[in-house]
Amino acid sequence: MLQVRNLHVSIDGQKILRGIDLDVQPGTVHAVMGPNGSGKSTLASVLAGRDGYEIEEGSVTFNGQDLLDMDPEIRAREGVFLAFQYPVEVPGVTTMYFMREAINAVRKHRGQAELSAGEFLKLAREKINPLGMEADMLKRAINEGFSGGEKKRSEIFQMAMLEPKLAVLDETDSGLDIDALKIVADGVNSLRGADRSFVVITHYQRLLNYIVPDYVHVLSDGRIELSGDKNLALQLESRGYGWINDEVVPQAAAGV
Amino acid sequence: MPAIADRTDVYLERFNDALARFADEPTWLLERRKRAMERFLQLGVPSLKHEEYKYTDLSALADGQLLFATQLAGAEAALPSYAAGSSSDRATGAGPQVLGRIPRGARVQSLAEALRSQPDLVQRHLATIADCEDHALSAVNTAFFSDAVVITAERGAVLDEPIQLVFGDGPTGRLPRVLIVAGRNSAVQVVETYAGSGTYWRDAVTEIYAGQNARVDHYRAQVESLDAYHTGRLQASQERDSYVGSFSISFGAAVARNDIGTRLNGSGCECSLDGLYAVRGDQSVDHHTSIDHAMPHCNSHQLYKGVLDDRAKGVFNGKIFVRPDAQKTDAVQSNKNLLLSDESEVNTKPQLEIDANDVRCTHGATIGQLDSEAAFYLQSRGIGAGRARNLLTYAFAADALERIKFAPLREHFEALLLNRFASQES
Ligand SMILES: Nc1ncnc2c1ncn2[C@@H]1O[C@H](COP(=O)(O)OP(=O)(O)OP(=O)(O)O)[C@@H](O)[C@H]1O
Ligand SMILES: [Mg+2]
Repeated sequence: MLQVRNLHVSIDGQKILRGIDLDVQPGTVHAVMGPNGSGKSTLASVLAGRDGYEIEEGSVTFNGQDLLDMDPEIRAREGVFLAFQYPVEVPGVTTMYFMREAINAVRKHRGQAELSAGEFLKLAREKINPLGMEADMLKRAINEGFSGGEKKRSEIFQMAMLEPKLAVLDETDSGLDIDALKIVADGVNSLRGADRSFVVITHYQRLLNYIVPDYVHVLSDGRIELSGDKNLALQLESRGYGWINDEVVPQAAAGV
Repeated sequence: MPAIADRTDVYLERFNDALARFADEPTWLLERRKRAMERFLQLGVPSLKHEEYKYTDLSALADGQLLFATQLAGAEAALPSYAAGSSSDRATGAGPQVLGRIPRGARVQSLAEALRSQPDLVQRHLATIADCEDHALSAVNTAFFSDAVVITAERGAVLDEPIQLVFGDGPTGRLPRVLIVAGRNSAVQVVETYAGSGTYWRDAVTEIYAGQNARVDHYRAQVESLDAYHTGRLQASQERDSYVGSFSISFGAAVARNDIGTRLNGSGCECSLDGLYAVRGDQSVDHHTSIDHAMPHCNSHQLYKGVLDDRAKGVFNGKIFVRPDAQKTDAVQSNKNLLLSDESEVNTKPQLEIDANDVRCTHGATIGQLDSEAAFYLQSRGIGAGRARNLLTYAFAADALERIKFAPLREHFEALLLNRFASQES
């Protein structure tokens, strides 16, 4: 589904990603962990198509197409979804209006009929209730005045509405209490399926008790230094990230 | 200044010609016209050197050609979507189209009709509220307008739907003149629409008298031809406990200049002067507002928002006078602008003259660009770049639009704003 090959990215001449390789097969969940500032959000932003990044080297292929060549909205319509680490407030545009425009843009792209106001509302209710949110939220401006937890749940709601093929969740668990965490995890799990993949960026192993990953990667200083299965996350939880640079990187440098 | 005198020659000639047309008018009106002409000849069309006009170039109006020597296309202006139903059969002479039914308790008359049925009221207010001593553009209108629409709401009448006037390409449309007199305890809503085609200058003046405890909601929608000059004046005079709300929409015209003001002559008055301008190409739009707090315990509120694209220019100047007697004044002014391009520009300036000490006056002006983070957020959900831009532009203007209480009007301009860059949408 997604192939990232030797991806080098800089911002304002400063190198942030230094050769990322990542293969995401359909139906798998990849957790990406790593210290603050290691480049996790940068990777997520580059996948979603945010401006301001210089791709110095490498490629990203999504279902056989050159992802980096597409505008952000085309990526979204093709099935890429980014749940933002810091969802943006957009005063003056209701979530309802926003999501209806979005879902119809996606449907149009897929050759499906647009949803009527009634159909949209029905779908929105179905998707919002399991997230423990009221449909009234739809009438509020996008993320405006939402609590941290509400913003994160709204991201999951949007994901559920748009039914992407690849969802990148950037610290969707940060700042959530345990109940909200379960709700978000349930939201993700209910979307898991043979042809949908997830890249879950997190600092906390706790999330991965609920969203059990197939793979865990450690991003450090712009590179994936270590990959493993879910047990790697447990190891990171108890030992932190320090040992990676001390043990793994010297080995890698020595070509072991 | 002989140069200016030369250039206003044609105005004087035309005025002398017009006197025959005015022969049936009462003497007081003729005197007011003559005085207006006299003042205009002294003032001339304001040039860029005039402090109040330094950003808006009206030199093309100086010789009067655009007023006297161009033809309005003569076709009926297309009715905007918010215009309820069909034209009323209410005769207003050769005046504007009057739309919808005239609510009970209200009268919509031509000048001749009003002079017959309520001469004192007309004499008391017409050309006394929008004085022309220092206002050349109003002086032109007062000297030359050939008909006026006189809207009166009788004491206690509450009009729950607006009276709509459409000034299109009709023969008297060049110099629209409206007088609105809201009697004690009455409530009136008026929508004025200015729409035309071709190259012309339209110079409009509306006067509002709000009696004690009256409420007037006035909407002015300027969607002139993009080759036109539009100069407009709205001046209100308020008695105690009255409310005047003005909303100025300015989307059209090559050059538009609106002077919108109110005098709060009694205590307990309230006013809102709000507006939304959206211009592109080489359009320029200039709003000068003026609120005169003469008496204590009055509130004034202003929210003007502007959207400027391409090389368009915007001007906002908001004057607030707080006279020595006007203690406990509460005046709030805000002008916010969104620049969609590098070459668009805005000059915005609050101008507060405060001569009382126990008052609250706040003002703020901002000039900003579209939030690229927000645009990316919308795009990341599949919304095209052009559509995202439109949504954010609309969002920027949303709180101003909300102040348009007449829903069909609000929805019309919401849609206009949302689809403004339709060609760039994908
Ligand atoms: N717009 C920017 N301009 C300059 N530097 C940036 C910009 N965005 C990110 N960076 C830098 O790039 C590096 C990686 O940032 P990024 O946000 O990708 O880290 P992260 O792994 O997501 O961190 P966290 O765990 O704190 O969210 C950091 O050093 C950050 O300061
Ligand atoms: Mg991050």
